[in-house]
Amino acid sequence: MNDPTPDITEMVRAEAGDALERIEATLLALEGGSAHPDAIDAMFRDAHSIKGTASMVGWTGVAAIARAMEDRLEACRERGRFETELADPMLRATDALRRALAGDAEAAAAVADELGDADAAAVTPSARSRPAEPAPTADRADAGLGKRRVAAAPGTPPRGVEGRAIRVAAEKIDRMLDAVGETVLHHRRLEHELGQRVLADGESLAEEELDLGERLLGELQDSVIEMRTLPLSSITAGYPRAVRDIAAADGKQVELVITGAETQLDRVILEGISDTITHLLRNAVAHGIESPDARQAAGKPRSGRIELRAEQREGMVAIEVADDGRGVSAELLASATDAESLTDLLTRPGFSTAAKVSDLAGRGVGLDAVKRNVEHLGGSLEVRSEPGQGANVIVLLPLTLALLRVLMCERGGQVFGVPLAGVREVVAVTDTVSMGGRPLLALRGMSVALSDLAAVMGASSPPLPPSPTAIVLALAGRVAAVQCDRVLGDQEVVMKSLGPLLAEVAGYLGAAILGDGRLVLILDPNHLLKTQAASPPPVRQSTGPGTHEAPNVLVVDDQFTVRELQRSILETAGYRVETAINGREALERIGRPPDVDMVLTDIQMPEMNGFELLKAIRRQPDRASLPVVIVTSLGAEEDRRRGAEEGADAYMAKDEFDQHTLLETVGRLVGR
Amino acid sequence: MSSVHVSVRAGGEHYALPVEDVLEVAEIGHVTPVPGAGPAVLGVRNLRGQVIPVIDLTVLLGVRAQRPPEQILVAEESGRCAGLAVDSVTDVGMVDEPTEAADSRYLRGATFVEGALVGIVDLHATLDALVEGGTT
Repeated sequence: MNDPTPDITEMVRAEAGDALERIEATLLALEGGSAHPDAIDAMFRDAHSIKGTASMVGWTGVAAIARAMEDRLEACRERGRFETELADPMLRATDALRRALAGDAEAAAAVADELGDADAAAVTPSARSRPAEPAPTADRADAGLGKRRVAAAPGTPPRGVEGRAIRVAAEKIDRMLDAVGETVLHHRRLEHELGQRVLADGESLAEEELDLGERLLGELQDSVIEMRTLPLSSITAGYPRAVRDIAAADGKQVELVITGAETQLDRVILEGISDTITHLLRNAVAHGIESPDARQAAGKPRSGRIELRAEQREGMVAIEVADDGRGVSAELLASATDAESLTDLLTRPGFSTAAKVSDLAGRGVGLDAVKRNVEHLGGSLEVRSEPGQGANVIVLLPLTLALLRVLMCERGGQVFGVPLAGVREVVAVTDTVSMGGRPLLALRGMSVALSDLAAVMGASSPPLPPSPTAIVLALAGRVAAVQCDRVLGDQEVVMKSLGPLLAEVAGYLGAAILGDGRLVLILDPNHLLKTQAASPPPVRQSTGPGTHEAPNVLVVDDQFTVRELQRSILETAGYRVETAINGREALERIGRPPDVDMVLTDIQMPEMNGFELLKAIRRQPDRASLPVVIVTSLGAEEDRRRGAEEGADAYMAKDEFDQHTLLETVGRLVGR
Repeated sequence: MSSVHVSVRAGGEHYALPVEDVLEVAEIGHVTPVPGAGPAVLGVRNLRGQVIPVIDLTVLLGVRAQRPPEQILVAEESGRCAGLAVDSVTDVGMVDEPTEAADSRYLRGATFVEGALVGIVDLHATLDALVEGGTT
């Protein structure tokens, strides 16, 4: 007697696991009254196929449970309906089946009474998952299953992988990502060095080659990152069931709606966030959703609703858990201040929203641990809630741990990186006020705590220049600004840990290697915000009149710093400002209402450069007169001429760029 | 008993580390200061894609530095890796077990090599000092 080869058993396991998940989803849908008319047939077919393939590899225990389920479904089919009482025992049977697939010998016997199957009861532990007959050959398995499947690892819960798959140690992919990341950085440096010279000489062949290189590297990088990403659905399959079970144990009715399950995330982040999401769902059921009677009394539907939403948002992934339950108490909300937000209060160690600690949610960790976990993954957490209106927990996570977009800034001759996820904007500090002896930055009707980056990090640096640059940080409802000598631009970096010896030094996420081999320290935005916690809260001032009618200026530049600098200058002067990171994005924006009144564009940008954007705008009859100003670092007469030929209204060189010239030019073109 | 040590000069004085503690000798290279990390930490350095902290031995040993360090001894102890900045590496050879007591917690003792007093660096204590902030 030959054992089936590991490959075949893995295929069967994966196949059965998929069928099992489909059955489970259908049962839950039937229970909620929203299943397809042919749901019973579909479950019957799945149970039947599990039975068939399990018998084929000699897993009699698995086959017995599947057969018991099949029998009950057969009966339902004959009666033409599925009784809701049957959902519970059937769901328990799916659990047993899952255990049996993982090799649990007792699983079959446990479920036998429930579904009343004599054969299942007769299965003895010794009969489990041992092949009872010669193993099928690989050919036969292929023919029988139609496709090859390889599960993630032997013994793990089955999770199908479509098509051919190979197993590669995760660290090999991590190393590859590191190398690709370094290569991309190197290319950018090369492009920067060559780009200026080449463009100035009007040499387009080298420019094309550089563009091609960038595109190829981008594709390479994307595909390596993709190797490490999985959809959120790879961890959410069990959630509807878990929510139902927790709610049922609490005497509550809760429906879980998942949207954006296809959102892709780094495998490492997914693994790290899985428990957190379960915890948030558990919280929502136990602390958020009220009992059916209480809900009815409050004029809500008896059944509660929890939404798990995921979506990409500005290079991050936002995962929200929103419930329509009782929300936080009015007293708690009132005690939240700008200095200590609701999120701060709720994530204080040991805090809980439960009036009485319920059996289910009292266990495990609180929101403080959730927050720590999320921050550890490079993300942030925010809680929004209104009494009686439910609560919304928003987790912002980076798409990947491999690459980090940081803003490079300089203070006292040293360059630091600040993750862009924590940066709201960059402003020139022209207007400061003081409250209680502490400096504040006046910012569009808000005042924001302001400090010196050197002081926050404990560096001894010369005084700040007369008009320093401030980086406005915003995370979890907290806003603060740190000043530096100047901001150098943003770039993607590969971040590395500082290692065990410097782990205790506060304020650093790690270090990144620059193109020239030097290291730049990456600052932790949470630390920068925290050290300002004692500062006065942002104070809202009334906004000036006329904001609504202000001309709408679209700023197009691939550099975050340039966009933010222009935005800051224009907004201070009362313009409305929108931004785009390249010509293509700008063109899309221009095509949509509300109308853009003028465009301020860079020349050198990926995907679609400034000249191409200009050309595309001028090709549209109704946009032929849209004012376009070209702002670029290339001061060459050639570009000025080409800009004029393509129909630019004005041309500004970055090296002679100043606030006055910008406002004068913009004012001349859109009259303000 | 004598064993192979890497001998260095730091702040003009002679020190040595057991060769098992030393992974390699490298130029000091570009060291990025880490504000807030304590006076003994010169900063961090990129060593073939690895980020390693660089320790100023003279600060730890209380010796007056006479010139900027030129080399680092990359040393490792139970997964903790650091570069010890020194004036220069002078020799690799047999050094006797310490015979003299040393008044620094970062030395296991001292011994005479060809008439010169050589302090034997206690790597474990040195790296511990870094975790604690290394001020003395």
